[in-house]
Amino acid sequence: MRHYEVVFLVHPDQSEQVAAMVQRYRTMIEGGGGRIHRQEDWGRRQLAYPINKVHKAHYVLMNIECGQEIRAELENAFRFNDAVIRSMFMRRDKPVIEPSPLFKEAERERQAGEAGSGRGEREQRDAERSRRRDSDEPSGESTDDEEADNDSDAEDDDE
Amino acid sequence: MSRYFRRRKYCRFTAQGVEEIDYKDLATLKNYLGETGKIIPSRNTGTQARYQRQLALAVKRARYLALLPYSDRH
Repeated sequence: MRHYEVVFLVHPDQSEQVAAMVQRYRTMIEGGGGRIHRQEDWGRRQLAYPINKVHKAHYVLMNIECGQEIRAELENAFRFNDAVIRSMFMRRDKPVIEPSPLFKEAERERQAGEAGSGRGEREQRDAERSRRRDSDEPSGESTDDEEADNDSDAEDDDE
Repeated sequence: MSRYFRRRKYCRFTAQGVEEIDYKDLATLKNYLGETGKIIPSRNTGTQARYQRQLALAVKRARYLALLPYSDRH
């Protein structure tokens, strides 16, 4: 069994299907004896550059532990799913469970959105996002060290 | 021979004892990108070679996932 970090981007028009897709992949992984250690939904994000003429995409991150057959199966599933516009698999040495910076960012945004007036579609999506957060994970305490180095400056680079 | 005092460069990753540079930590990565989206060389930032390699990999991963731009002309 190996640890992988998987990120995939879903076409924004298929954003509603993300929950079903994740569920499908989850059964695929767990059916094959794998485990999902971390699963995050970053929601719909602006892309840094257009991919296939789309400017936004729905990001999903998964840290999984599985055999190579399941990995290949999953890669195949991404390839033949038109809704997935991009995906990446990375080897990891150990399971990662603490929430990623991007997920925290999405969470913050969500809270800000909730404080404002209701955006129906967003709220619905966020609700299912929080529901899908794995409950069996001990939520890693959020050390705010990435907050601290935000203000690192580029002053020292001029020659 | 510099005429004015220049702050000494140091490697932030070494100073903080970072274990691994995360491609998802965009706030950190953006400090090491120029305006055009290029990675700033370690001779300018003072990043240690070990971390510069990690940084390059992290930036390239983030670029592939469209979290960071490849250039400013997309």
